Amino acid sequence: MKVTVKLIGPLIYEGGFSEKTLTLPRAMTAAELSAFVKIDKKRPTIITRNGKAVTSKDKIADGDRVVISHIYSGG
Amino acid sequence: MKGWTGYILRVNLTDKTWKKESFTEEFAKKWVGGRGFAAKILFDELKPGIDPLGPENKLVVALGPIAGIPAPNTGKVVVAAKSPLTGFYGDGNLGSNVSSQLRKAGYDAMIIEGKADKPVYLNIEDDKVEFLDAAEMWGKGTYFSNEWIYKKHGKNAGVLNIGQAGENKVLFAMIRSLEGRAGGRPGIGAVMGSKMLKAIVVKGTKAIPQADPELMRKLGIDGLKKARELDQTSGWSKQSTNAVLGWCNEVNGLPVQNMRHTSHPEAHKVDGERLNDARIATYGCPSCTMHCGITIHDDEGRESELDYENIGMLGPNVNVFDLKKVGSLNYLCDDYGLDTISAGAVLGFYADAIEHGAASGDFKFGDADKAKTLLWDIAARKGEAGNLLADGALKAAKVYGKNSADYAMQVKGLEMAAYNCKSIPGQALAFGVAPIGGHHREAWIITFELKHSKRESYGPEKAAKVIELQRIRGGLFELLPACRFPWVEVGYELENYPKFFNAATGLNWTLSDFWAAADRAYSMIKLHYLREFPNVTRKDDYPPAVWFDKANADTEGPQKGVVLEYDKYDSLLQHYYDARGYDKRGIPTMETLKKLGLEAEAAAAAKVAALN
Repeated sequence: MKVTVKLIGPLIYEGGFSEKTLTLPRAMTAAELSAFVKIDKKRPTIITRNGKAVTSKDKIADGDRVVISHIYSGG
Repeated sequence: MKGWTGYILRVNLTDKTWKKESFTEEFAKKWVGGRGFAAKILFDELKPGIDPLGPENKLVVALGPIAGIPAPNTGKVVVAAKSPLTGFYGDGNLGSNVSSQLRKAGYDAMIIEGKADKPVYLNIEDDKVEFLDAAEMWGKGTYFSNEWIYKKHGKNAGVLNIGQAGENKVLFAMIRSLEGRAGGRPGIGAVMGSKMLKAIVVKGTKAIPQADPELMRKLGIDGLKKARELDQTSGWSKQSTNAVLGWCNEVNGLPVQNMRHTSHPEAHKVDGERLNDARIATYGCPSCTMHCGITIHDDEGRESELDYENIGMLGPNVNVFDLKKVGSLNYLCDDYGLDTISAGAVLGFYADAIEHGAASGDFKFGDADKAKTLLWDIAARKGEAGNLLADGALKAAKVYGKNSADYAMQVKGLEMAAYNCKSIPGQALAFGVAPIGGHHREAWIITFELKHSKRESYGPEKAAKVIELQRIRGGLFELLPACRFPWVEVGYELENYPKFFNAATGLNWTLSDFWAAADRAYSMIKLHYLREFPNVTRKDDYPPAVWFDKANADTEGPQKGVVLEYDKYDSLLQHYYDARGYDKRGIPTMETLKKLGLEAEAAAAAKVAALN
């Protein structure tokens, strides 16, 4: 299963990339994908799939674009 | 009374006099400082209907009990006046050494009234006030004048100054300070310019009064250390606020082409990653623990300090996707003393109005070079377009006609910050009910809407969240005043702030006490609005019509076809009014005002307009 993952803000430096297409070894939830790209589980994040917010338990599907972001607060 | 100096400095520019006035402990506890002081003072001292650019208007510089004391991000100053842009109370905060220096000089606030007969600047040193000749600075930008002041008065002085935009009474002229950045979006710099006041310079040598200085020192130093650690752990400062640009682009919330679009394929060229790559240095305000200003070299080699709002509005909102060019537009705004948010909104509006046949001119979206010229035309009020745009998007739209007000992206005359909310109802409400007009400072709930609610919801949970954040962001942090960033961005605990306040004042306040004070300040501002606009309706709390226009919906992507819905927005507004104790016009009821101890203010407002 291939998905495109984009990291936002400080997560870029934590995950070591900004955006890339990954081949996943198995089906994953949003939380599992976040851990797979080495984002600290303790860090509060907001994850979107194809532009819409998902919960940590939502499943990721082939071809999805997943964005993982630090939770912003509008400055 | 401990914690407050107990004094306000009143300066009259007309007759070059000044006096030191005391205030009571009751006043201090009721209004706290910052926005609370300013809103109350201006309500009591300004007659409704006065010309905001006339000598009757007053400029208030207000601090509070922890201002200037070393603790996380306490180097903030509130500046306020009757706004020439919106026609009622307006304010803003900026970082400046004035925060500590004015308190060391023995004052918690300053009221400046009248008008000088020639350009002057004020030099305040403890109990001395001088009215000095500003001829050498007049006509110059803020970088020149701030440096000129430093050479003459030393770099430790607190400085507030204006550029050409303030001198020429551009209605979205700011007040600047090189020790921090800029504040006073609703034209507070124009009020300063209308008084022929180029700058305020402050130095003080007294101790800032504190109930328990040892405890305050310990709490402050521990707090500075903790807040810095949180910033470093989170990595927030790498991209500062501009990290949100890439996210807004992904979730269809970016202002593109005067907010006609919500994302753009070239947005990555001006995002946080590019900003971090291009950085020269970072800057913060006094006592800052997390620098939000990142500087780059602009396309003319100058050092320009950027953050999200100015990149969003001077970049994507005018279709400029070259960071160096955005840097250049930002530098010019800073130098001229123009508010970058309003400047970007006005440029976007003008290009849109030309495209739609409402205005004439050769400015097009994406033309950064022409935008540079236009910024000077606005700051100098040069030419027909420059002079008109200097009055802000709404006033320009009223002249252009042809329904252009529908896409003048403002609320109550104040241009909105860099979030495109046509498919984000809760944040649209936050702009709609921001007490001074379309400001993002009061509440920002987009991640809450997406993560903890449903984006398409217009439910009471969103109104409740807006109020919760207004009490914190527009209340607590504007009253102290202090920067909200340690709490809002890296999780420095809110409970620390009452501890600072109590150490400084000897009181025993909890956050609940601050929420009451915040509600009082908000109601005070609403009474300002009522007094100036007795025919107020709930429509005044609506965002621009274009956000409700199906023809303006995204044509592709996850928000395709989605815009705000009038009846649902109105019900969301009612949720907000009900929770606030406001009437159907969005004005606090008599019962609410009574609960907040505002009977006298209600009686004063009732002379002009009815209260329910």
